[in-house]
Amino acid sequence: MTAVRFFGDPPPTIAGDTLPGRLIVVEGTDGVGRSTHIALIKEWLEDRGVAVLDTGLTRSELAGPGIKRAKQGHTLDPFTLNLFYATDFWDRLERTILPALRAGMVALADRYVFSLIARAAVRGVPLEWMENLYGFALVPDKVIYIDVDVEQLLPRVIGSTGFDYWESGQDFLRGPDVYHTFVEYQTRLLFEFRYLASRHKFSVIDGRADIAEVFRSIRFEIEPLITSMGAEVKPARTRRPRSRPAAPTEN
Amino acid sequence: MTPFRSEELPGRLFIVEGIDGSGKSTQLDLLHKWLVSQGYLVVFSEWNSSPIVKGTTKRGKKRHLLSPMSFSLIHAADFANRIHAQILPALQAGAIVLADRYAYTAFARDAVRGVSRPWLHRLYSFAVKPTVAFYFDVPLEEAINRINEGRPMLKYYEAGLDMHLADDPEESFRIYQGLIQKEYEQMLDEFGLVKMNAIEPLVVQQRKMREIVAPHLVGVKQADAGGVQEALREAGLLGRYLEEARRRKDVQA
Repeated sequence: MTAVRFFGDPPPTIAGDTLPGRLIVVEGTDGVGRSTHIALIKEWLEDRGVAVLDTGLTRSELAGPGIKRAKQGHTLDPFTLNLFYATDFWDRLERTILPALRAGMVALADRYVFSLIARAAVRGVPLEWMENLYGFALVPDKVIYIDVDVEQLLPRVIGSTGFDYWESGQDFLRGPDVYHTFVEYQTRLLFEFRYLASRHKFSVIDGRADIAEVFRSIRFEIEPLITSMGAEVKPARTRRPRSRPAAPTEN
Repeated sequence: MTPFRSEELPGRLFIVEGIDGSGKSTQLDLLHKWLVSQGYLVVFSEWNSSPIVKGTTKRGKKRHLLSPMSFSLIHAADFANRIHAQILPALQAGAIVLADRYAYTAFARDAVRGVSRPWLHRLYSFAVKPTVAFYFDVPLEEAINRINEGRPMLKYYEAGLDMHLADDPEESFRIYQGLIQKEYEQMLDEFGLVKMNAIEPLVVQQRKMREIVAPHLVGVKQADAGGVQEALREAGLLGRYLEEARRRKDVQA
């Protein structure tokens, strides 16, 4: 059973005080490999017989399309943008995450309120305002934070999506070029993430290691949560990946 | 006493509040026309009108997706956008801003739906404190009569049907508006709302409203002060082509 705890005042319409499921969050800035590890975690959990709901920012039916449209305009003040994100967040919490937890599933969230708080903090939104806003957020059972330095981030971002307008802080930073604003923005963002990591007791995973090792560390963090749910313990199956040679890393 | 930001701004902000059918919009419209005729620069802001957010609110209402919290959050997003893109810049520039409904509408509607009041007050701390906030006080029965005459169909959220107060939309509307009225009454003293008697004749209400607003207009920029009017008088002209010139400017803008 998971206790239904919120960061602030409990929101209306939430019944019950325990839930049979577990809420697991994967946090980290763009390019740390969140989506890869979420794909691996999901498969691993399903192998163990655990039903998984995966969810991520802007995926709500209510506000997802509106946020995407609004961000194309590049004209949003941070308060409006954050309230938009909060609407999306609440809609997913209420209509997908909580029902999944009630049904005994693991809700696996790609980013949570921490990403939103960190992004807002670097844009000058007062921390107290953000923490009040997200008082309605359910406290996760586990926050996996994949931590890297800007130097490791650079080749990954260049090699995949390139520099995104928002992820390089171009909406509020001015610099000689995109490279410099990206470095400046990500440095500030990582600072905020590390502050949140100690404040909210994240499980910090060193993202500099190769994928197999990072995933091994993640499994180690999640394992107790899963067994406490009554998932079958299958020593042979859980140990098998370790006895294999390390999975080749993509390069 | 007030949850709002406290900095002094050169403009003035007048807002109206009240339940549906209290006649607040009619009175604000009359005030608007009067201020414009006096040569003031007036900006009008309406509830639920942010071009960026209102599409999402509509989507939520149409598909009945809004729960008490998402109802609260999406309206706060709309309001935040209007504060930062419209209301605040106008006040910084010294204009008069008129708002039909303000944060108090959210305080009342959301509290009725069970959202925490202190949370709401902190959420709206980015709002500007109004120069004067009018509350149009009307007996519930009178408001309902007025609504029934003007609007045949009650909408889902407007009637509070999401709260399951009653199956019949009219009965639900009555209970919902009654609850909102109670919230407003509790806010009168807390936020210093100016109570208007909304069953008085319209002309009387408007005269009182102007009397309350007038002292706050001292020192406010008038778009036309000593300009065109003086030029016309000095040269003995009527300004026959001025209207046309203004229209052309509007079209260009």
